[in-house]
Amino acid sequence: MTHRQSKRLGFVGGIGLLLVAAVAWADLPASAVASSAPDEGDPRIEGALLVDATQVKPGDTFRVGVRFRLDPGWHVYWKNPGDSGLETEVAWDTPGVTVGPLQWPFPQTFRTPDGFITTHGYDGEAILIADAKAEEGSSTGMLTVSAAVEALVCEVHCIPAELMLTRSIPLGPQTVRDAETAAVFDTELAKVPRPAKDSGHAATLALDAPQLTAGQDFTGTLTLTAPGSAAVPAVEGDFFVADRIAGVVRVGLASDGPGRFKLKGKAEPDAQASAPDLTGVLRLGTAATGYQYLEVTAPLAPMVAAGGAAGTPAAVKPPSVKDSIAAVKPVGAAIATPPAAESSMGLGLALVFAFFGGALLNLMPCVFPVLALKAYGFTRMVQQERGRVGAHAAAYAAGIIGTMLLLASVVLAVRAGGASVGWGFQFQEPLFVAGVCAVLVAFALNLFGVFNVGLDGTALAGKVDQSHGLMHSAGEGVLAVVLATPCSAPLLGTAVGFAFAAGPLTVLAVFTALGLGLALPFCVLVLVPGLAKKLPKPGAWMERFKQVLGFALLATTVWLVWVMGGLAGVDGMARLLAFLVAVGLVTWLYGQGQAQDGMRKLATVAVAAGVLVASGLLTLRFDDQDPVAAPRLGSTVAQAQPWSADAVNAALAAGQPVFIDFTADWCLTCKFNERTVLSTDEVRDAFTKHQVAFFIADWTRRDASITAKLAEHGRAGVPMYLVLSPGAPDKPEVLPELLTPGVVADAVKRAAECAPSKLGNGANVLCAAGFPSH
Amino acid sequence: MKQVFTALALGTLFVGAPALADAEVGKPAPTFTLKDESGKEHTLAQYKGKVVVLEWTNPECPFVQRHYKNDTMVTTLKGFDAKKVVWLAVDSTAHNTPEKSAAWKKDEGFPYPVLQDASGTVGKSYGAKTTPHMYVIDEQGVVRYAGAIDDDPRGKNAKPANHVKTAVDAVVGGQQVPASTTTPYGCSVKYKS
Repeated sequence: MTHRQSKRLGFVGGIGLLLVAAVAWADLPASAVASSAPDEGDPRIEGALLVDATQVKPGDTFRVGVRFRLDPGWHVYWKNPGDSGLETEVAWDTPGVTVGPLQWPFPQTFRTPDGFITTHGYDGEAILIADAKAEEGSSTGMLTVSAAVEALVCEVHCIPAELMLTRSIPLGPQTVRDAETAAVFDTELAKVPRPAKDSGHAATLALDAPQLTAGQDFTGTLTLTAPGSAAVPAVEGDFFVADRIAGVVRVGLASDGPGRFKLKGKAEPDAQASAPDLTGVLRLGTAATGYQYLEVTAPLAPMVAAGGAAGTPAAVKPPSVKDSIAAVKPVGAAIATPPAAESSMGLGLALVFAFFGGALLNLMPCVFPVLALKAYGFTRMVQQERGRVGAHAAAYAAGIIGTMLLLASVVLAVRAGGASVGWGFQFQEPLFVAGVCAVLVAFALNLFGVFNVGLDGTALAGKVDQSHGLMHSAGEGVLAVVLATPCSAPLLGTAVGFAFAAGPLTVLAVFTALGLGLALPFCVLVLVPGLAKKLPKPGAWMERFKQVLGFALLATTVWLVWVMGGLAGVDGMARLLAFLVAVGLVTWLYGQGQAQDGMRKLATVAVAAGVLVASGLLTLRFDDQDPVAAPRLGSTVAQAQPWSADAVNAALAAGQPVFIDFTADWCLTCKFNERTVLSTDEVRDAFTKHQVAFFIADWTRRDASITAKLAEHGRAGVPMYLVLSPGAPDKPEVLPELLTPGVVADAVKRAAECAPSKLGNGANVLCAAGFPSH
Repeated sequence: MKQVFTALALGTLFVGAPALADAEVGKPAPTFTLKDESGKEHTLAQYKGKVVVLEWTNPECPFVQRHYKNDTMVTTLKGFDAKKVVWLAVDSTAHNTPEKSAAWKKDEGFPYPVLQDASGTVGKSYGAKTTPHMYVIDEQGVVRYAGAIDDDPRGKNAKPANHVKTAVDAVVGGQQVPASTTTPYGCSVKYKS
């Protein structure tokens, strides 16, 4: 190729599109076929747009595919091209049709003869297929499907290709399949790796080190089990191709006997603290026996950022005399340990953190209703014999720990399912919120005396069944956990963050420690004889107090109904309230039943159960519609912009300090901070003075990018407050979870002084000292 | 490379892990002595005290052509203090000759030398995989950036973020390089096989 010619092959606009209706493609409309990558007049790639239906009924699904045919020796690239090349891109333009993601068949691996450069892709012929759905009520008689394909076509040298493919499909009363194309698609889709669990396979990954370190090699073993107890077939050739994994330079598997693979990889030298997953595609079997293609996803291990001090958090280190600047930092900042240190702390420390975090949960705003409820429980229990008190304390602790373990196993199950979850995630699930509401309303009505669970009232004292009383204590434990989760006390986020990135046993251990911490203060109060005696004597006030507590519980439901509004809009709130009325009716019926006996009692209880199930089925249907965003209170908060990485970078580039509030509607600590700290004049003035760009990252609904950002700082939940300085954009300062106006104002002041515009010579040293280094 | 062939034969190859030390961020850069298109010798050691930008290039690669058409490299270089920053292009293409490089340099009119590495030894010691593949080496000879020239593989962004500019400015200003490793994009380096 002469230089003049190659000049003409620029990226933009320099590519001649040869629309060729070749003989071999006679069955396709001319517009659906194109060739590109002209190599001295000879196109190296031909593309065709295939559809597996000749007529489509509105509302039906069909499949579309782009077929590539390449000259011998030429190839295009997979979604992870490898060491060089470029992912093949298909952009759909399909009015009236929604097209799903591309299905990538298992790729081939190409190597240069010296083995130095490895890439993944397709040669010969390949089809990238996607599911499509014709929208209901399309009025036109034709659907137009267009695909703009960009591919890099390489042999030894590379030629960029652009293909514009388009065709029309008539709409009709029913969908008519094109058997030939459907068969071709089926054959190709058989080569698309499916999630391992779909076929009953299970992949577990055991790394040889508890964590990944930036710039270091890592090794481990991946074990694959086939469904039932079938043997995992042998593998051959290039059987594994990894996706691009953030923070990982390369990773590969080597067969180590059936179902066992040695993993070897290397972390990027400047990898951020994160919890990466191993993701990739695996080909089982041999050419002789036939292949099976699996998609593998398994958590690797927490990544320790470059320069991250492994072992102990930096906050624990005593400040050296030389470190005089550090002494200027506000005391509150001491809680904010550098994320790198957080992710690298040992299990023992994580358990200690979890335990104290659990204990602190008792003091968080969201546990208050339960605390009140428990205060009543104390007074009642102290009146009983010592032995019973111990049993109640044990039941309460068991309730807490049992729920924690249940949560932990749910976390593990969800994590295994590939969804990324965070502390408080259960409040992103409308049905869970509805369930908690129902429990609270039932509790409240119980306190009002609508029904009883055979656990209070002196009239029933004779009839009290031991287990009922203990069940009540256990239930209180459960409720304590459920209400505590949306608030992460200081240090708690750290422990849970650690747990989420660790192995299953660690998760269970950390959750148990959390539960013990949450249960301990209550148990101490009850079990230490002197303390119990100090509690007030029972009397008529107890009955009144109980009823007042019922209202406290109802108030909590108001908050949950508001959370539901955030999740499912006004309709969702109305549905929830309707369900709660039904719950009220059911408890009342149950209460009536308690006064009856024999068959009538059974009938009443049966009716109650029927009403509960029916109303639940009728009302609890929450679709994820976008609620109308309610204007937020608090003037500072009102000026916030929704968080996005690009917006933050733009603000930093403009020289503004940035404050990011990671929050959620169901997190009372977050709301508390927003109302009492972020809305104060002191903070507002500081923000105005330093021209702070204020962003809100709202985690009320699941949001993968926010979850990832939290994980980056070793957190699994909200609140989290980040302050970024334009002078050191890669060193965010993490503020403590319980804010004070002073802490916020000081942090943004430091960030502003660090701005490049204000930097004198050598001032950057001072700059870095104010920020925990990664 | 023997290990790689062995591994291939066993069908158990790790993903492109050559048996060579690549240039790694935070580690001293591999030393080299190479002649440029005019026959003049350059060593890494002679540039101690300056920030060195290495650009793996190949005039036959469409990605390189696009950047030269848009003057990406020259514009980036112009933004630096010439007393502090040196730019060296390296061509590890097996069939490249000094004459080809000289002709291309005259055509495009850029000022920096094109180091001749047709044997591929230096390219492989750096682990250069693509053209363009960029490295920024600080005054002490430590690699501070490795990866792509910018964040725009397809040449579609109106305002691409130039990673090399960010890195050099950070190194010259005594700051941390924000993203010190990025995934390079482009054609593969056409090494001698």
